[in-house]
Amino acid sequence: MSVSGLYVGHTKGIEMIFNELKRLDYVVVGYKVEEDVLKLRELNSFEELASGVEDVQNPGRYYLVRGKFSRHGPDSLKRFFYPPTLTLFSISPKWDMSMPDYVNRKIAFLGIKPCDLVALKVLDRVLLNVDEYYTRLRRNTALIIENCTAPGNTCFCATMSTGPRARDSFDLAYTRLDSRLVLEAGSDLGLRLLSLLEVEPIDDSTYRDFETVMRKASEKARAGFELSELPELLELNIGSKAFKEVAGKCLGCANCNMVCPTCFCFDVLDVPKIDGFADRVRVWDGCLNFTYAQVAGGHFRSDLWARYRHFVLHKFTYWIKQFGTYGCVGCGRCITWCPTGIDLRESVKKVLRGDVDE
Amino acid sequence: MSRASASLIPMKTVITRVRVETENVKTYYVRLPEGVELPKPGQFNMLYVHGVGEVPISVSDVDADSRAVAHTTRFAGSVTRTFALLKEGDIVGFRGPYGVGWPIELVTNKNLVLIAGGIGLPPLRPVIREIARNRSAYGKLIILYGARTPKDLIFSYEYREYESIPDTELLLTVDVPSEEWKGNSGVVTNLVKVVNVNPDETYAFVCGPEVMMRQATQELLRKGFKTNRIYLSLERRMKCGVGLCGHCQMGPYFVCKHGPVFPLWFISKYFWVDQI
Repeated sequence: MSVSGLYVGHTKGIEMIFNELKRLDYVVVGYKVEEDVLKLRELNSFEELASGVEDVQNPGRYYLVRGKFSRHGPDSLKRFFYPPTLTLFSISPKWDMSMPDYVNRKIAFLGIKPCDLVALKVLDRVLLNVDEYYTRLRRNTALIIENCTAPGNTCFCATMSTGPRARDSFDLAYTRLDSRLVLEAGSDLGLRLLSLLEVEPIDDSTYRDFETVMRKASEKARAGFELSELPELLELNIGSKAFKEVAGKCLGCANCNMVCPTCFCFDVLDVPKIDGFADRVRVWDGCLNFTYAQVAGGHFRSDLWARYRHFVLHKFTYWIKQFGTYGCVGCGRCITWCPTGIDLRESVKKVLRGDVDE
Repeated sequence: MSRASASLIPMKTVITRVRVETENVKTYYVRLPEGVELPKPGQFNMLYVHGVGEVPISVSDVDADSRAVAHTTRFAGSVTRTFALLKEGDIVGFRGPYGVGWPIELVTNKNLVLIAGGIGLPPLRPVIREIARNRSAYGKLIILYGARTPKDLIFSYEYREYESIPDTELLLTVDVPSEEWKGNSGVVTNLVKVVNVNPDETYAFVCGPEVMMRQATQELLRKGFKTNRIYLSLERRMKCGVGLCGHCQMGPYFVCKHGPVFPLWFISKYFWVDQI
């Protein structure tokens, strides 16, 4: 929810926002170029925020070039509130249990995209006030969103209604229009940040530009299928051979699970120490992993196609029944970071069309 | 430490008694930690072995007076194999009780067929005990139980007790009979065929390997049982027990949270799908 309406300022304002967040003792996290990839990292100075680069994303391909607009990398906010490895508790030989002290630092995310904001809302539905670790780490978070003026080739946020413009649940959202910056506040913190900048209420011509850019972005970020009836249709086609055909390219590496900003499955490992202490450690797991549905007496999804089918149906069908929302936000990461370039959009269409090479 | 509704931190408790059942099955009575409600028939607990891991085990008996809860376990996986070393007085971690159990309240004045395979009998044992306690509240009780060999029949020392419950039948079968074995051989599904009850007045509770449950369910449907009279206790990989880790999903259901006991009508869209 916008609480301010739209204002216009200058792109220099982003640095002022950064400085104010630092002054308010926030750890500021944004996309930074590391090893030729955009990575979500703590930013010590504003200069570290990726600028002048563009991430080119295609099925199975990711590289950076000089450009005006950067979207995202393999990291999402999931890493921060639901880390890839997390010690649940440590236990002494005498059974004294202690939970590590998860300090909830004030974290501000700067320049994350609307799809990732919605992914966080999805994770909140799954884990907030349910999982004590997530709930603890999730407190004191500020969200400064950069609306997406140039979706990439694997993006389909418009189809999933998660972007390219953030609609609610942000502190501040901004949109770059050449050197102009369109801003709207969504909270008291957002209003406070906005009041530092030199802004004017949006004028007609800027508003038209803003609308045009957002409309064009929206037209680009489409998957080629519609959401209406998708959950039911996928389920009715649960026996489709398309799953088998698509999974023929799948390696079962679970990259898609790892880069997905909403995948929440975990495994628990026991780490005994030489001194009789032991840790229980939570690690990310994914439904494409071979052991995911394995039990001591057998295996519920030993075939890769069945695991791939579960992934697709969980995102678009089961998730709705479980949490009242889609599990997919259309960020396209699972397409980009799939080593063999399996395109989720094409998989869904293939199942819906039912055209499979026999 | 705080305990959220979906806490993954076990409570410390003690094993009060161990009973050897078969060559690779034992029953562990565990004292219920303070403030924990008594498990209902069909529910399960997560038991933690220090430094080794945690496993979901169904409750096979509840002693309300001493607040001891029985868990009958086959030594099958990496964690349960270490159970073989546990003895009376040992400490284990406990979380639970979890899940939705058997709908015994529905069976009032109705007949009940219990169909169990292998390690599927222990989760049904509290149902047998409940019926024995309040015999007049329920109709006919038929227990069908199949195991791999006669040696694998769990709780054989109390079969006489089951048979002495009024209006109760116990039918046993084994896949691989021994020389001394005089009873039925073959899969437990075969016993369903000989059951003679009015399906409109009868419930069926099924627990065992998935293959066996599918066959038994098909047989019950053939006999005219409706999908709201058949209840199944499903098995899946479970790492958390509280619907968070995702492993136990069957279609949209978290077996640990929405089950493990489901009426067939509730899951019939998914139950028959290969590798759902």
